[in-house]
Amino acid sequence: MAACIVCPKRPLLALPFLLPSCEPVALELRRNQSSYRRTKQRLRVKPDASFGASNQSRDHIIYNPPPTAPSVYQTPTKFLPPDDARRALRTDASSGSENLDSFAPIYKSSPEKTYHLSPSDIEEIRKLRLTDPMSWSRWKLAKRFGCSPMFIAMVCEAAPEKKEMQKQVLEAIQSRWGAKRRMAREDRQLRRETWGRDE
Amino acid sequence: MPVQGVKAVTTARNGVGAFILQCKRLDFHYCDWAGSSRGMVAFLKHKLPAIAKENPQIEIRVSPRPHRHPVIKGQYINGREKAICVRNLEPEQIVNKVSLLKEASGEKLKRIKKPVSSINESVRGIWSPFHGEYKGI
Amino acid sequence: MKRLQLLRWSSSALSARARAGVRLQQNIARGARYQTTVSPAAQSESGQLADEQSFPPQFSSNPQQSKYALPSPPVEAARESAKLAALHARLYLPSRLPLETLARSLVDTSADPNPNFNNESLATLGHDLLTYYTSEHLLCTYPRLPLTVIFAAMYAYVGPKTLTAMAKEWGVETAAAPGGEVDPGLLQFKRLLPGTELNAEGATMRPNAHQKSWRKSITSRIVYDNEFGEQPQTQAPVDAQGAQGVSFERANATFVRALMGSIYLHAGRPAAKRFFEQHFLSRHLNISELFNFSQPARDLSRLCARENFEPPVAKIISETGRKSRHPVFIVGIFSGKDKLGEAAGASLLEARSRAAVAALKGWYLYSPLNVRVPSSTEEEGAAPWKPVHVDLGEVIV
Repeated sequence: MAACIVCPKRPLLALPFLLPSCEPVALELRRNQSSYRRTKQRLRVKPDASFGASNQSRDHIIYNPPPTAPSVYQTPTKFLPPDDARRALRTDASSGSENLDSFAPIYKSSPEKTYHLSPSDIEEIRKLRLTDPMSWSRWKLAKRFGCSPMFIAMVCEAAPEKKEMQKQVLEAIQSRWGAKRRMAREDRQLRRETWGRDE
Repeated sequence: MPVQGVKAVTTARNGVGAFILQCKRLDFHYCDWAGSSRGMVAFLKHKLPAIAKENPQIEIRVSPRPHRHPVIKGQYINGREKAICVRNLEPEQIVNKVSLLKEASGEKLKRIKKPVSSINESVRGIWSPFHGEYKGI
Repeated sequence: MKRLQLLRWSSSALSARARAGVRLQQNIARGARYQTTVSPAAQSESGQLADEQSFPPQFSSNPQQSKYALPSPPVEAARESAKLAALHARLYLPSRLPLETLARSLVDTSADPNPNFNNESLATLGHDLLTYYTSEHLLCTYPRLPLTVIFAAMYAYVGPKTLTAMAKEWGVETAAAPGGEVDPGLLQFKRLLPGTELNAEGATMRPNAHQKSWRKSITSRIVYDNEFGEQPQTQAPVDAQGAQGVSFERANATFVRALMGSIYLHAGRPAAKRFFEQHFLSRHLNISELFNFSQPARDLSRLCARENFEPPVAKIISETGRKSRHPVFIVGIFSGKDKLGEAAGASLLEARSRAAVAALKGWYLYSPLNVRVPSSTEEEGAAPWKPVHVDLGEVIV
């Protein structure tokens, strides 16, 4: 209705999405929903069970943990030294890890370490990567030796000419970026740095 | 280096630990001749020594300002100044004005809507929709 | 109107001129100050050599005029300053601390190079006290803090920026230029010349100090650098009159330190400790905001390996809108069955990284119950000292 008043020059039929809301039935429906009595009725929440009258006759502790992210000043039980008195006070219920198995890990593969490579293998990796860096990339070496590309990077370094070439490739790619993309990349980097500061 | 320190400065909480009175100086201006300063002159003669003794943390200056109405000016730690004209006031009324200047913080007056404002973290933390049990309605 | 407090004088630790017993030294020192032909620097070098007959007799006959010849206000002026008495009362300083010493702590080295009348010696004592009390508080309250964070926390509690802010919040005003005629209740120092390099690094004991690009390890920062882990700053260049200027920040920080030292000298250790707790420790600092991790997940796995915990595993506790523009993931880091930390993030990587940060902070910010500091055993009838929790140290990767 308000839209009709604001732009009376437009024909009503040109704005078909306004039509259903002008129907009396829809108006009536909305009015019913926002009626004062119904709103109050919806907000009338039953109190939590822990606050109600319990069958225990004695006084008891109401445990109602706050719906908040845990504070960093509360040391996890595992990090408490063995002689700390708080270790005995913490129960399993307060740690909140009862349904640990239902949580999905964020990585598909399990980070099981096999430690199967011998020093001679590592020598081999280094030699391959240094002599023929074009054909033996980190991923190819990882596939051949059954380890992760991360491990290859930890073990050896690329040849200087390969590094130089990669740098030129990267520069060539970055030279084609416009202002928007470049700023977006820089912002992403800045946002990443805030992770460590917890901002 | 695995972890680095971020440089910061502690924030003052006046009254937690020590309390610093924010009014640091009171200037009294009067006129010997004019009638509007009659109460002020009586105040300076009889009331001011006791007030000065009670509040040693305030520097007090008295100076004549001929042919002008009497004025009390308060200087505050935050650099602001508050002035109250006390023409034709009785000494008792001037005492009230002095205590008003003494107890002021020096900030501009503004309406405070929240009963409590604090820089401490709340005990139960900030509510998050992802924590706590789901309570059905 | 002045409100002078009737102070109980403690004659033991007053400055040299105010001491009643040493008249001769007093006259000698005054004589040296009245020699206007001698530059202040040369005066401090020649020390007490000036003999009593050398100063012109008209100065003693006309004390009003002689004020202008002094580099800083005379000791007698402290009793007549309303500002000084107000500052004394505003800070609730102990009545055993006389106004003369408070006036002396307001005179910087740049204003009066004579060590008997400036606050340098008091500031040295006060600086040592401040850093001692702060470091013992930090080390006993948070025994696991990494050293870089301890440096940052020390800087936050008693660094020059904080001390300057405190002097401002105490209502200390500065004199435009130092001199014998100014009010002794004003902070007196010679300002820096415009265009002076402020952050020039000073001399250090560090070997190969000229190699700017070399890595400075944490251990070398403990040994060679100051208590904030920084290289100490250099003295400002000497100006045409032969005196050095100091920055506003440095003069204010020196005053606050000197005040701490003079409270310790006149009112004793308990009063100094109380002053520290009321004015320094009562200020608000959130230590958890001083951390900056570069690779938190790696550090956490190293920590768990060092402490013989199960390796940390990141798991999704809850999530919403995975395919939307603004997904939220709550990721917890678990070691065995225990949750070490959890955090929310817009991507799985971010949430995992933030959760690792939360877990590491949970480790580093451990605080024992019933913390006592070593200086608390100095009180009368204190319980015997029990050793505090000592940690292995930070994670080294």
